[in-house]
Amino acid sequence: MEIILAIFVGTLYGLIIGLIPSAGATTGLVAVFGFIGWFTAFDPYLGVVFVMSVVAASTTGDSYSGVLLGIPGANSAAATMVDGFPLALQGQATYALSAAIITSTANGLIWGTLTFALLPWYANLIMIFGIPELWAFVMFALATVGFISSTFWVRSIIAICIGCFIGLIGMDPVTAADRYTFGWNYLADSVQLMPFVAGLFAVPEILKGITNNKKVAQHTQSQKGQTWQGVKAAWQYKWDGLRGGVIGAVIGFLPGLGGAVSDWLSYSATTAAHPKEKFGNGNIKGVIGPEGSNNAQKATSMIPTVLFGIPGASFAAIVMALFMYLDFELGSPDLVYDDRFFSSLFIGFMGATVLVAIICLLFTRWIAYITHVPYWIYGPLLLLFVTWACVQYTGGWEDYVILFLCSVLGILAKHFKFSRPAMLIGFILAERIESLSIQMSTLYTIDKLLQRPIFLSLCVAALVVFIYGVFYNKRKIDYV
Amino acid sequence: MFKKLLCATALSAFASTAIADITFVVPQKPGAGTTVWTEIVARELEPFLGETINIELIPGARDIPGFNKWHNELRFEDDHFMVSHGGNGVSFLQEDVDYNYAEYESIGLMNLNIITAIRNDADENAPSFAAGSGMVPEAFAMTLLICGPDKTVDEYVQCFKDNVTWVSGMSGGERRLAFKRGELTATRENPAAFKKHVMPSIEAGDTRLWFHHGILDAENAQHIDDPNYPRYQLEILFEQKWGVPPSGEFYNAYVLVKSFRDGLQKAIWANKGNPNSARLQAALTAMTQDETAMANIVAKVGDYEWLIGAAGDQQRDTLMSFVTEDALRNLVKFNTEALGLASVYKDNLTE
Repeated sequence: MEIILAIFVGTLYGLIIGLIPSAGATTGLVAVFGFIGWFTAFDPYLGVVFVMSVVAASTTGDSYSGVLLGIPGANSAAATMVDGFPLALQGQATYALSAAIITSTANGLIWGTLTFALLPWYANLIMIFGIPELWAFVMFALATVGFISSTFWVRSIIAICIGCFIGLIGMDPVTAADRYTFGWNYLADSVQLMPFVAGLFAVPEILKGITNNKKVAQHTQSQKGQTWQGVKAAWQYKWDGLRGGVIGAVIGFLPGLGGAVSDWLSYSATTAAHPKEKFGNGNIKGVIGPEGSNNAQKATSMIPTVLFGIPGASFAAIVMALFMYLDFELGSPDLVYDDRFFSSLFIGFMGATVLVAIICLLFTRWIAYITHVPYWIYGPLLLLFVTWACVQYTGGWEDYVILFLCSVLGILAKHFKFSRPAMLIGFILAERIESLSIQMSTLYTIDKLLQRPIFLSLCVAALVVFIYGVFYNKRKIDYV
Repeated sequence: MFKKLLCATALSAFASTAIADITFVVPQKPGAGTTVWTEIVARELEPFLGETINIELIPGARDIPGFNKWHNELRFEDDHFMVSHGGNGVSFLQEDVDYNYAEYESIGLMNLNIITAIRNDADENAPSFAAGSGMVPEAFAMTLLICGPDKTVDEYVQCFKDNVTWVSGMSGGERRLAFKRGELTATRENPAAFKKHVMPSIEAGDTRLWFHHGILDAENAQHIDDPNYPRYQLEILFEQKWGVPPSGEFYNAYVLVKSFRDGLQKAIWANKGNPNSARLQAALTAMTQDETAMANIVAKVGDYEWLIGAAGDQQRDTLMSFVTEDALRNLVKFNTEALGLASVYKDNLTE
């Protein structure tokens, strides 16, 4: 009974957090610190079930704000938004959401089973991916920007550069000195991801909605019957979803890459797989591709986290700290033999994945009507939510200023058609590329690198993908 | 069970809305090492204090802004106490920070040691090691071990550059994984993390203990061997290898930086004259004497020596006695020239 209750409460909590624009799993989990101690009082395993339920539910829930409002629930949901939001504008919000939920759930179940059932076995695999392979993988992810750049490709390149520059603000990893901070100490700890995502995507859309004072959905259509259409679409384009699942699973498995990379890579792979189709203006495959990856990525991120105590993503770092409260020391050999712990991980993640899918499918049709409500009613409320999520870092005036500056950047990028997705990818990858480049050049000579087949294959793949994406991919996406 | 869960939830919700009497300021983000440490210690301390403890996180670059804010503003509020870590101690020596330990009184601190290990197939005279985010005393220690006695600081700098592969831009997680994969040949951990991440590899025969820094004995102003890892203290290994104990200006810089990092690894501070200090010190003393509370803390953060009140002040005073002009200058010189760090010499520390 208490397990069901923990799953239910965790799912509801995760779903609500997922629905809040710009919040996502990491923000939701941070708030759990306030009451995780309750579980130690009766059963810490119940705490594990609860935490995993929050992870699974928030991942599914964050598709809503991306599709319905054009505001990613988390940075990882930004890719879903590119084709999901135009579908909502066309009155097909329920169609997009139900396809997203079915794909996300199916991949969550597949990769959740593979992850938690075979967890101890993965230790050997993770040792194969060294620093050069991770570097090449990140370069591969960056190369896929060619597929998500807009028709204005020069502006896309500029957008990537701007994103990279902002991503490099903070501390120089070699000298440990402040870099590009313009004398503002606050920036020495880097521009935080949340205000950057919110400023780039959320605020411009909210302001547009408020100033236009109109409904989000321009062509009102009945949502009736769209749930079933979405389910059918998920089945019809199952290979796009499964491809996304594989990409998400691989990236989740590699520590430090994170959800945004996997979702964009899946999105890029989907566009590459359908070269004759237009994306960015409401192609359901553009929703199914990235949605295949997010739950899969969350599941496999737990592999390095549990086996080595090395967080596979930012949310996993918070999970690790929460589990420490519950007396579960991730990465310790004893835990690998704790069957009840693994059962709790499995039950929490899988239970919530199924439960949140049922809740979402039952209520999506009604939730989707939010797109028919005049923006002035909920626009200000959304702005409050977004602001709240962004000032959780220090709570000081600096948080507000940085959100304002990122918002100005987002508004300008949108107005002048600079690709905002490309800017986000540059921002996310800049620091990783820099640190991995330093590590690789310090530890490896060219001779040693040439003896690593996985590294070489990934380098070639990155080069091919970039050249094809930039020069031969004529079907650029419209979303900027 | 169900009713119990609901009751506890309601009670906890009520408790969390109660007004906190004491605030611990932590200079980190949620989930970071010192944040988690503070959460754990605060929850165990509350029953002995009889008051709730609020935790205020003020994150920022290299965890300096939070400490600065407490120093400049919050310390003058009698209910605000600072929780700092070893990184703050190292920054104090070589960065432009506002805070100054000499102006505070210790509530309590944990004395720590850092242990290093090296892979069995690696050459101790040519290790590859992760730099971390700032100055790492291990760089000094391995330079001493590799290069031997009676050298100038310039010679030590050159010897370090010739022999050590110093890898920048690695987080703790990346460092651990790179060591497991053999990309790094040596690594460092605090005692709790050492048991978790390195001991399995030692037991499997892949890795061996290399050296540790010893534990600071504040009374005698020197480092003593760690009973958990006897005969692996740097000073002992150095004498075994080179026939003389380590000494000289470079060694003094090493003692300075390792003391400020490990001797202040986790510390709770009050402004001098804070009327609430005695109450907090008494509660901390009671907590450390309670077997259940300490078992909970040891299980989560490791078993370290606590120095409370006057003992903590003595530790701080001993550390300050290591701060000499030569030691500071050599610390900055090695940091800048060997490690490539942007360190500054702070003449105000020796005035």
